[in-house]
Amino acid sequence: MTFHPEILCPFCGLGCGDIGIDQDDSGIAPRPSGCPQADRLFRRPMAVATDARMAGTQVPMDQAVAEAARLLGAARAPLIAGLAADVDGVLAALTLAARIGATVDHERSDALFRNLAVLRRFGWSVTTLAELRNRSDLVLVVGPDPAAAFPRLWERWVAPPPAFVPGGGRSVVFLGGEPLPETVQCLAGQIETRGMETDPQPDLATLVTRLRTALAGRGAAEDPRMAELAARLRAARYAVVVWAAGLFDGPQPDLIVEALVRLVRTVDGTTRCAGLPLSGADNLIGANQACTWRTGFPLRTGFEAGAPFHDPDRFDWRSRLRDADVTLWISAFRPEEPEFSTGGSVIMLAPPETAITAEPALFIPVGTPGIDHAGDVFRADSVVALHAGALIDRGLPSVADVIGRMLVALEQSADAREKAGC
Amino acid sequence: MLTKLAGGRLFDPTNGRHGEVADLWLRDDRITADPGPGATPDATYDLTGKVVMAGAIDIHSHIAGGKVNLARLLMGEEHEHHRFAGSPCGCGGGSGLATPSTHTTGARYIEMGFTAAFEPAMLGSNARHAHMEMGDIPYIDTGGYLVLGSDDFLLDLIATNAGQAAINDYVAWMLTATQSLAVKVVNPGGINAFKFNARTLDLDEPGPYYGVTPRSVLTVLARAVYELGLPHPLHVHGCNLGVPGNVATTLDTIQAASGLPMHMTHIQFHSYDTEGDRKFSSGAAALAEAVNRTPTLSVDIGQVMFGQTVTASADTMAQRRTAPLAHPRKWLAMDIECDAGCGVVPFRYRDTSYVNALQWAIGLELFLLLDDPWRVFLTTDHPNGAPFTFYPELIRLLMDRDYRLAKLAEIHPDAPAHTTLGSITREYTLAEIAVMTRAAPSRILGLADRGHLAPGASADVTVYTDRPDRRAMFERPDLVFKSGRLVVRDGTLVAMAQGCTHVVRPGFDDLIERRIARHFDERLGLSLKHFRIRDEEIRHGAGPVLHPCRRREVP
Repeated sequence: MTFHPEILCPFCGLGCGDIGIDQDDSGIAPRPSGCPQADRLFRRPMAVATDARMAGTQVPMDQAVAEAARLLGAARAPLIAGLAADVDGVLAALTLAARIGATVDHERSDALFRNLAVLRRFGWSVTTLAELRNRSDLVLVVGPDPAAAFPRLWERWVAPPPAFVPGGGRSVVFLGGEPLPETVQCLAGQIETRGMETDPQPDLATLVTRLRTALAGRGAAEDPRMAELAARLRAARYAVVVWAAGLFDGPQPDLIVEALVRLVRTVDGTTRCAGLPLSGADNLIGANQACTWRTGFPLRTGFEAGAPFHDPDRFDWRSRLRDADVTLWISAFRPEEPEFSTGGSVIMLAPPETAITAEPALFIPVGTPGIDHAGDVFRADSVVALHAGALIDRGLPSVADVIGRMLVALEQSADAREKAGC
Repeated sequence: MLTKLAGGRLFDPTNGRHGEVADLWLRDDRITADPGPGATPDATYDLTGKVVMAGAIDIHSHIAGGKVNLARLLMGEEHEHHRFAGSPCGCGGGSGLATPSTHTTGARYIEMGFTAAFEPAMLGSNARHAHMEMGDIPYIDTGGYLVLGSDDFLLDLIATNAGQAAINDYVAWMLTATQSLAVKVVNPGGINAFKFNARTLDLDEPGPYYGVTPRSVLTVLARAVYELGLPHPLHVHGCNLGVPGNVATTLDTIQAASGLPMHMTHIQFHSYDTEGDRKFSSGAAALAEAVNRTPTLSVDIGQVMFGQTVTASADTMAQRRTAPLAHPRKWLAMDIECDAGCGVVPFRYRDTSYVNALQWAIGLELFLLLDDPWRVFLTTDHPNGAPFTFYPELIRLLMDRDYRLAKLAEIHPDAPAHTTLGSITREYTLAEIAVMTRAAPSRILGLADRGHLAPGASADVTVYTDRPDRRAMFERPDLVFKSGRLVVRDGTLVAMAQGCTHVVRPGFDDLIERRIARHFDERLGLSLKHFRIRDEEIRHGAGPVLHPCRRREVP
């Protein structure tokens, strides 16, 4: 039995670096971390099938790579999706996409694009997790409790007393969402104000509008509780407005995000206030960062005659899946079968312990960054990148390795075609 | 591989050559001595009449990291209109002019004969990102200057009188952990003050919470950099950027250094006086005079050129001030990790605007009034004054007085009266351009084997045709070699090459690590183990290139 202390968790995007992992001959298992995701996803067996499968039949890796290259090279409308990989894996996927004219998107990009739409047309005013922890005296949580997606958010970034707040007091106000029981337990007396909502199914957009109206100094008589919240925002030294746009319901969630950025700017004119838009499991943020530096555009980018081309609607993987003839699905973090269906062929890169019900044309097992190999992942607040180290060697290649081999195979077949004069 | 570059005119100021005709030999990735009559080169280039220089080095260009990526996202329209396919040599496609994507950045630099560019504002908290991005820029060498001076840890050290030795250890620890080449201070203490809602902070004004003045931040950092013996002096982005009258602050900042070496960056943005009806005029003459008589100072200009660009800076205080002038009207601001911040504001400099026209003239005035080309560097503070692709045009303005006067006649009619630009007759020579873009940058950064053409130097060589139109000449070199490989011919990419990442590692007393570790655990929620960037993370395992530091004591 070996104990690995202070292991970095690459899964939800909070970048917790304090996970303890026990290792024995049968595999690895985490000590209870307080996070259901880490507790589940760090549990891996040593013995796994390292062979690839072609239509369910085991084949050597070389053959699988050659077949993948053949399928991708011949594809008319290829899609690279899932894209759940470390930064090197994403960069390799981008090189491949440029080579074969594929579009790229991350499985969980919906939440990100609700925020990006506002960044790209209006801008934003935001902060990061350590500023939240040390500087904020008022936290306004808009919408459902982000702890649903980021389990240790409150424990690690809000429960510790803020270093720069005189007296160390901090209030947490939920607007349009209820704190989860774990959140109530974690933050104890800090959650002060609730019940702003007048009906049981509050409309988030309306609530935010009411707060902005109150901030503009109107309607205090009709809406005294909102007026009080507005006054508290204005009186705070450093208020942070937290939201997880992926959890927003409603027809145009980006409009809620824009309203929140405008709200932040109103308050920030006289005291300090910043937003904290959270999205980012499975290195979503890293995938977007790498796509942005490599192509100049965020995810949902394709290539036209070698030049990148971005379309946030048309290149959403869910839309592209409808007419993609070959899909390379990358899911290196979770041994969980992704939910999607397509009429085209699927090449899946996923951990070998993934239980598959609908066998793809090709299944190529890959390791998980931070378990089988080292890899870089970004935290959900987009600034901090972390290098997750390797824990065990199960003989599994990384996504970057596998795609690198596909690129070599594509080059070789292109050379062969050239030599044959076609 | 032995290459002979035959009969060119060598402009190699480091080695005292100012246009002398000589052969130049490259063996593999290095310049080598003439191997003698028996040697048979694998390739020979007849460079009769051509101008030969080392690859150019840009000491201050925002090419990588979080703020650049945010700027790319904000400048979506520009990227849509400027999309590029990859090249058969392996350079990938990309997009953008003011914030080009990684491969596009490398391609545009190498096509102009630049073989190195340095990211001057790398936040410790964002360093791993910046390194990943720099590693994805082909062709050119890179490195990052670590931003310090608004980080809570440093301000706490100063406020608690921890002493210069502790500060030196912290600076050295951070440089090592983040794989940095130099130290930059941005609006000393000001980014931190802004987090406590201070909207301005003058040089001698105690900041909120810590009660530390920008002057003391500046002096302890300048001293740390000096005592640790870093090759590059403290890289200073001063207080009050862009504020009319700020030339007074800039002159005070020079005094604050009190004899310690200092590099003042993008001084064009810090050279404004308040004369005239519009209370905005050039302070260039006074500043140039002060710089000329202070041999421990070096500067780069941050020249403004007309057109659309985007400003990206760690100086959130200044960026929030200029945000209402954003064009297009969108901007973003970010407070970052008890470390620093970033602000991104798109901007269009217009020659018909009095203020922008004067900014343009002030930059040129500074270039021309500063008499020692070893202490002044060609920058546009890319992309803040203009994209780096404007360098050939800027070189023409410096080398061609008639052209300059013609351009001066086109700008806002009231601007020329408030600068001395029209009366300056100086024209830069080719030798001076070679100093400013090659010899001096390698010297000020401590890159002993870059920026010159002596045997042993990296075989980074650029060959130009000597054209009277200096813009045309510098826009499109005939040949560019990176590490001995011909990568550009007649302005076109013909092969791929990778640069390296330059760092310093001055050493420190590791007792400081306990205090740093406590700060990381208690404030940043991240252990040192996960913060430190290992050598194998740099350039996919290639690791960094180390440059020596020589400890010194302040006399």
